[in-house]
Amino acid sequence: MSHGHHNPIEHPEVQLASMGGYLIAFVVGLGAMLIALWMVVGHTLSPVSLTTVISLIALVAVIVQLYFLFKLDLSSTQIWHTVSFVMTAPLFVMSVGLTIWMFHTLMERTMLPGVCTF
Amino acid sequence: MLVDLQGPWSPIFGRLGLLLDVHYNNPVIFFAFQLVVVGGAIALFWLTCANRWGWLWREWLTTVDHKKIGVMYVLVGLVMLFRGFFDALMIRTQQAIAVGPDSPGVLGAAHGYLPPYHFDQVFTAHGMIMILLAVTPMLVGLMNIVVPIQIGARDMAYPYLNALGLWLTAVAAALVMIALFVGDFSHAGWVGLTPLTELPYSPGVGVDYYIWSIQIGSIGTTLGAVNLIATIIKMRAPGMTWGRLPIFSWTTLASNIIALTSFPVLGVALALLTFDRYIGTHFFTADLGGNLMMYTNLFWIWGHPEVYFVVLPAFGFLSEIIPVFSEKPIFGYVTMVLASMAIGLVSWTVWLHHFFTMGASPGVNSYFSIATMLVGIPTGVKVFNWAFTMYRGRLRFPTPMLWAMGSLFLLITGGTTGMMLSVPAINYLVHNSVFVIAHFHNMFLLIAYATFGAVTFWWPKVFGFKLDEKLGKLFFWFFTAGTLFVFIPMYTLGFMGMTRRLDYVSHTSWQPLLLLELFGIALYSLSVVFFLAQLAVSIRDREKNRVTGPDAWGTSRSLEWATHCPPPFYNFAVTPVVHDRDEWAWRREHGLISLVPDRYLDVHMPKNTAVPLLIGALSLFFGFAMIWRIWWLAGVSLLAIIVVIIIRSFDKDTDYIIPAADIERMEAEILNRGAADETSDAPIGGGAGGALASPRKRDGD
Amino acid sequence: MSSHSVENVDPSNVRLWDYDDHGHDFIGTRSIGFWLYMMSDAMIFAGLFAAHGVYVHNFAGGFTAKEVIHPLNALWPTLFILTSVLIYGFGMVALKKGSRSGVINALLLSFILGVGFLFMEWREFSELAAMGAVPQVSGFLSDFWVIVLTHAAHVFFGLLWMAVMIVQIARNGFSQNNVYRLLNLKIFWHFQAVIWVCVFTFVYLMGGI
Repeated sequence: MSHGHHNPIEHPEVQLASMGGYLIAFVVGLGAMLIALWMVVGHTLSPVSLTTVISLIALVAVIVQLYFLFKLDLSSTQIWHTVSFVMTAPLFVMSVGLTIWMFHTLMERTMLPGVCTF
Repeated sequence: MLVDLQGPWSPIFGRLGLLLDVHYNNPVIFFAFQLVVVGGAIALFWLTCANRWGWLWREWLTTVDHKKIGVMYVLVGLVMLFRGFFDALMIRTQQAIAVGPDSPGVLGAAHGYLPPYHFDQVFTAHGMIMILLAVTPMLVGLMNIVVPIQIGARDMAYPYLNALGLWLTAVAAALVMIALFVGDFSHAGWVGLTPLTELPYSPGVGVDYYIWSIQIGSIGTTLGAVNLIATIIKMRAPGMTWGRLPIFSWTTLASNIIALTSFPVLGVALALLTFDRYIGTHFFTADLGGNLMMYTNLFWIWGHPEVYFVVLPAFGFLSEIIPVFSEKPIFGYVTMVLASMAIGLVSWTVWLHHFFTMGASPGVNSYFSIATMLVGIPTGVKVFNWAFTMYRGRLRFPTPMLWAMGSLFLLITGGTTGMMLSVPAINYLVHNSVFVIAHFHNMFLLIAYATFGAVTFWWPKVFGFKLDEKLGKLFFWFFTAGTLFVFIPMYTLGFMGMTRRLDYVSHTSWQPLLLLELFGIALYSLSVVFFLAQLAVSIRDREKNRVTGPDAWGTSRSLEWATHCPPPFYNFAVTPVVHDRDEWAWRREHGLISLVPDRYLDVHMPKNTAVPLLIGALSLFFGFAMIWRIWWLAGVSLLAIIVVIIIRSFDKDTDYIIPAADIERMEAEILNRGAADETSDAPIGGGAGGALASPRKRDGD
Repeated sequence: MSSHSVENVDPSNVRLWDYDDHGHDFIGTRSIGFWLYMMSDAMIFAGLFAAHGVYVHNFAGGFTAKEVIHPLNALWPTLFILTSVLIYGFGMVALKKGSRSGVINALLLSFILGVGFLFMEWREFSELAAMGAVPQVSGFLSDFWVIVLTHAAHVFFGLLWMAVMIVQIARNGFSQNNVYRLLNLKIFWHFQAVIWVCVFTFVYLMGGI
């Protein structure tokens, strides 16, 4: 197993490291969180639209991080990382989304109005 | 921080004081205890008399060879299968006796011979053991044995992790077995009905056994899933493109994707329950903002994918067995692959159908109902593909093919009743009736059939000799008769309104059918006798049944048949180059079946290590300590696990190289073995270990 | 039948065995396996976020989200963890250049920032405990404690790993084993930033709405 790449530092995954990429991920991640924080603290929108907007901001931040921190792309070194992520992400969204949906309807149908604000 | 407990607790012994109140004079427990003691004593006696301790340690306990790890997985599964079968026997007997107010009662039970609390533990143990500790280890074991050879790899991607997964699974099994005698087991059903599993309603250690056993075992399964996926992605031989990957490897991939992503959710469900029971949080309580359906939800987010995690490898077995005995390539390879992946995906979208009656809106129920029905499409594609594979094939029916046929029939009946259950309107009627029980036993039996078929099919590959055909067929037919007699009455009783988990049946009119079920389980018991006889006779006559050459069935197709039976520990002397989807069939058709390469190369192999076994032992202490709330022992074991892992990370001496000359010598030995007719000692597993005789010396290098 | 090549194969010419076996890509195999584990780990958070979506209003007459969650206070941990991740990234750039001191320094700094993150979390939760907002009070608080502290537990084990790696690099340099472990720890550590973005948004910010 030691053959192949004689110098481990020359391995393509080591060579993926990039100062600029990490800086972009940092700036975008922190910036997005600051904007979202400002929107929430300042009560800039109605609760429903605020929820939607900060979710979208988080989505953008996560996508930027995934791309610049993990270099998820279709290159031969990274393709299987990307494929496994693409297969996991829908399961993540489904288990959260479907759960909230089913319990939301459950509460509506089984709880007294006003007792549970769900 | 910690909850107040009922009963004694001491800082040194935790809750072990509870044991003083357990009545060990119950004959059922006493019989089980004796069985284990006698079995253990025989094993220890044999190991000592035959001077096998060193052999056990070197060849099995510390091995990282994927074939041996697989064999041990199957062994764990088999032991637990017997345990689960005994539980089934007890359930069936109780329900056959305890019918109507006039039915007799013995051993402290008002009716039958099992008091309700004991009966509840038996069915809980039966369900949990059969699914998580019998079927799962057997399937993981077979994947472990077959997949690396099938894709032309020398071992799994992470041999060390592989051993760790095995030992964690063994710890899970050990904890359940310990629960038989030390304390009690959960009585809340294998799904763990909340809030019954909460501390106020289950103050004993039973639920804690259930939690920690599953938790530790599922970590093992997750590690195994990482390993198998990485192996399939990274370790394929040259030429083994995705379009040539055998269907069993594809289904292994699909099923392990499911395991990888779903087991953590089970971990969350159990962890939250643990917090409820240990520190008094309010996740699944009925009061203070708890939501007990949330446990059911999280459990089935795992539970439904888990069903496909176990069924997909079974589909893979069928896809390997049927073409070999039809002497045709699999029909519709591409659709087979797509169907496997589709089943994997759809399995994630259907979990609410386990609790349609929760009361979610019609919209939610309709969505999950339709999603469930969608599963029928890829499964149907598979059934037709198998049928077309057999169509105009040159069919033979040795035991593996018989099991495959049985599996196919069960898939069709089980699938059809599954479609019925996917309709919420029907589901509301038969929810928690034994109709549902018959349905999912039907599905699990299809897996069991496929697994028995696969074990018979690959047995000569792993051990170098075939299983006895005559006894194998008797085993099959008695098992099948048992299946019919148990489950046709059970389906019927479901429609008649009998609910599941009854320790006392009030309708005397159901008794004839329950007695039929009892007759069925008697047939099952007979089939088990034939199975044991088959093993014994086959091992006794192993020299007579020895397989010469790599291809045990004469018409085998995939790459695992392109190496010796049994394969040497390095699998292939030189890594094969793959030219075709059915590489071995291709080589046979072109007359290229010689296993002798032009020259040999050095082979790089991992060294044996005792670290996984050590971590397993520490996990057993940890689990036991957490169950009995012996905090110091839990802390020490957890710390020790972390320290062992860190120390091992400094170990650079984990691999070794076998020189080409040694490989050449070992290959020559294997090739001459058939001719020389030596009477070498080949015990169980001696096949897989036989070729290890010489390299063992090298371990210390 | 399509899989069967119909042309005749010349048995003397076909290459049945791979004689220039280069072995497999060791580092790549290790890192895909760890990435798969990370996907599995992400599903732990899927379960927890699903639970959060259900428990988020279950105050049971006790503390409400507004009384417990202060988005502004969560800004400090955010700064700590994102900066720590950035510095670990610089460490990976140093690894690319083969600078042992660069890697060790970056890991040390990243470690300290990670400890800072844990310190902020500890302060927040000891305040909560002091005001009586412990997980035993309501479903909502159980969920809040568990989801945030699960992330903190990940950070804790990441720090432990980082400490071991500092010793490993100092002792053994950039051996193959150490390089793949640095790559895997990078995956682990950077993943904590992604999870924190979700925790910050869906637990802290939404709790403040």
